[in-house]
Amino acid sequence: MWRRYDGTLHISGGFWLLLGWFLYANGWWLLLTVLAAAGLHECGHYAVLRLLGARVVSMRVGVFGAEMKTSGALSYAGELAAVLAGPAANLAAGLLLAGAGEPWIAAAGAQVVLGLFNLLPVRPLDGGRALTLAVSWALGPAVGERAAGAVSGCAAVALACGTVWLMGKTGGSFWLLPAAAGFAAAAWRELAGKRSFL
Amino acid sequence: MASRQAKRKRGMTAWSGRKRSGARVSLRQEDAALSARERRWLRQLVACGGVFVVIVAAKLILPDRLDGLSSQLRAVLEQNMDVREVFSAVGQAAAGEKSVDKTLDEVYRAVFHPQEDGALQTASPAVVPEVSENAAMDSLRSFRTQQEAADREAEASAGNLAYVLYSDQNLPENVSMEQAILGFSYCAPVGGTISSGFGYREHPTEGEERFHYGLDLAADTGTAIACFADGTVKAVGESSSYGKYLIVSHEGGYDTLYAHCSSIDVSSGTEVCRGQTIARVGDTGIATGPHLHFELHRDGVYLNPIYYVAAV
Repeated sequence: MWRRYDGTLHISGGFWLLLGWFLYANGWWLLLTVLAAAGLHECGHYAVLRLLGARVVSMRVGVFGAEMKTSGALSYAGELAAVLAGPAANLAAGLLLAGAGEPWIAAAGAQVVLGLFNLLPVRPLDGGRALTLAVSWALGPAVGERAAGAVSGCAAVALACGTVWLMGKTGGSFWLLPAAAGFAAAAWRELAGKRSFL
Repeated sequence: MASRQAKRKRGMTAWSGRKRSGARVSLRQEDAALSARERRWLRQLVACGGVFVVIVAAKLILPDRLDGLSSQLRAVLEQNMDVREVFSAVGQAAAGEKSVDKTLDEVYRAVFHPQEDGALQTASPAVVPEVSENAAMDSLRSFRTQQEAADREAEASAGNLAYVLYSDQNLPENVSMEQAILGFSYCAPVGGTISSGFGYREHPTEGEERFHYGLDLAADTGTAIACFADGTVKAVGESSSYGKYLIVSHEGGYDTLYAHCSSIDVSSGTEVCRGQTIARVGDTGIATGPHLHFELHRDGVYLNPIYYVAAV
């Protein structure tokens, strides 16, 4: 189900489906707000990557989010900066929009929610990756991988259960399903699957 | 090496790979009756066709069962947390306008009680069976019952109860048959005839005895609907059962709801005054003809609007 626009951008069919579903459930305004927040998030990553001299080779957008592939080696500090740049861009935009007042309040909330969501310590979310990088930087890659695997796995189990519970409790909200599936997959990968680092 | 690269490209892309792969590779693969990708497409086509045939067959053989199922499914699909409210609450917290616990409270409400505003789900006769199974609605109801009890105490002390028309042991829990003294001036929204009153009745389309939470006033499509009293438009929306509807909140915790409108002239947040045209009569949603379905709520409790509509 991969659609290819040019050499560098892949957008999955599932992503379009999720987009349609979210649009149906929540309307245009919210869809655009969330997409703007997601776009800004990726711009944050991209800007820091370019600043550090890395090249973005390809980008894949799927139901579980976007993923960039880069060429060129980065230091732990550099990669940490690039990983944290996305959520940082969201949180900064959130505060800025919140300061702008009424019509922008909900958009500010969307930015903050997206930024905080990405800081969850679950790989491949930015928070999980940042945790891996930070611990690896301080204590070496083996410790970093083990620590991040354990934290990420436990957090993913908790979040998968939480998302499913939320869907049950609200009696719908099916657009949360990819998030639940993503968390479950992450938990499986971390706790039961093979551990291939990054 | 070149052919291997070309093959890899074919695997990844739908069309460009085929063009680029060149005659050498593609000829060899097309000798086989169907390539792997074509076989996969065929399998997908057969699976989709199968699902289609099964659904059509089920619809023909068991129309009633499938209707029930689809309405149940629709209710589940339409049930949704209020994402916009969640964002707004978080945004207000970011702006420093609200404390963290207030924000959490609002987020909780937006997630678990998204329909609380108009109490639409409980009010709608067509949706009641699906929703009553819902755990979230149960907690909402118990919350309402508590609120109702608190209201009753307040009334007993304030003595603003004119009289109780009749007491019905089997009233739904969020309904009160009393005539409350409103404390503000009001007018009848439409000068039509009452086609269905507040209380138990045989449902016009479902055919079983159900509680009717409002008053039906029959009038021609396009008849102006006058606002019941001064207030603020709380919500404008559209639902499968109510059609186009709006809710106006008045002083003292009273809300009025106007449903099945053909058009709505005001938007959410607008200040409106008594007698102002806010919408037009129609038959949107579940309706057997053009009429206004008029509801009166006080703090989430349904009151009988007849006292205030017929007297004027």
